[in-house]
Amino acid sequence: MRNRLKVQRAERDWTQADLAAALEVSRQTINAIEKEKFDPSLPLAFKTVRLFELSIEDIFKDNAK
Amino acid sequence: MKSIIEAIACKGLPARDIKNANIVNLWALAWAVSLGLISFLSKYQWYSPGFPTILAFTVQTGIGIGMLLAYIRLLKNLDEMERKIQLDALALSVGVTVVAFASYSILDKSGIVPDLKSSSLIAFMALTYMAGIVFGRIRYR
Repeated sequence: MRNRLKVQRAERDWTQADLAAALEVSRQTINAIEKEKFDPSLPLAFKTVRLFELSIEDIFKDNAK
Repeated sequence: MKSIIEAIACKGLPARDIKNANIVNLWALAWAVSLGLISFLSKYQWYSPGFPTILAFTVQTGIGIGMLLAYIRLLKNLDEMERKIQLDALALSVGVTVVAFASYSILDKSGIVPDLKSSSLIAFMALTYMAGIVFGRIRYR
């Protein structure tokens, strides 16, 4: 799964640690998601888009598309 | 090398997870020390069968249950990626140990290698689990 998490985070001038604290995960998890090494679960993906006030498609994209 | 050291040191994990991991480590240390002490006393017949054996069994099992409960609490509090790393490491540990010791038992029965010992099994599982944790942390860096 592809994502635009790093771009969205940078636009808000948040650090990985800021985002990790807001989502209650480790900074490593944010780093792994941004590098597309780890796909978040649906609850974490929804929590992320709620935080950014965006829709799922704005951040996460299916590889098949 | 740096990434391996950082993986072992749990660098970047939240303080809560490090605290929970340290509690598990303390339980594991207490469990290993009590097991070693009881084995030592048993080897030199420093305690007789009966009440001392029941006491040793109860203490060892109690510490073991404490260790398991601490590990469950650690798993429940970890975030989803760290939990995946832990569960992958456990799966690797169980899988590799079952395959390795099944193969070893063939050599054991033919007398090529020494008898299987439960301590070897525990040490092998612990080592493969630790290797799995380090591998997982490096993989998701």
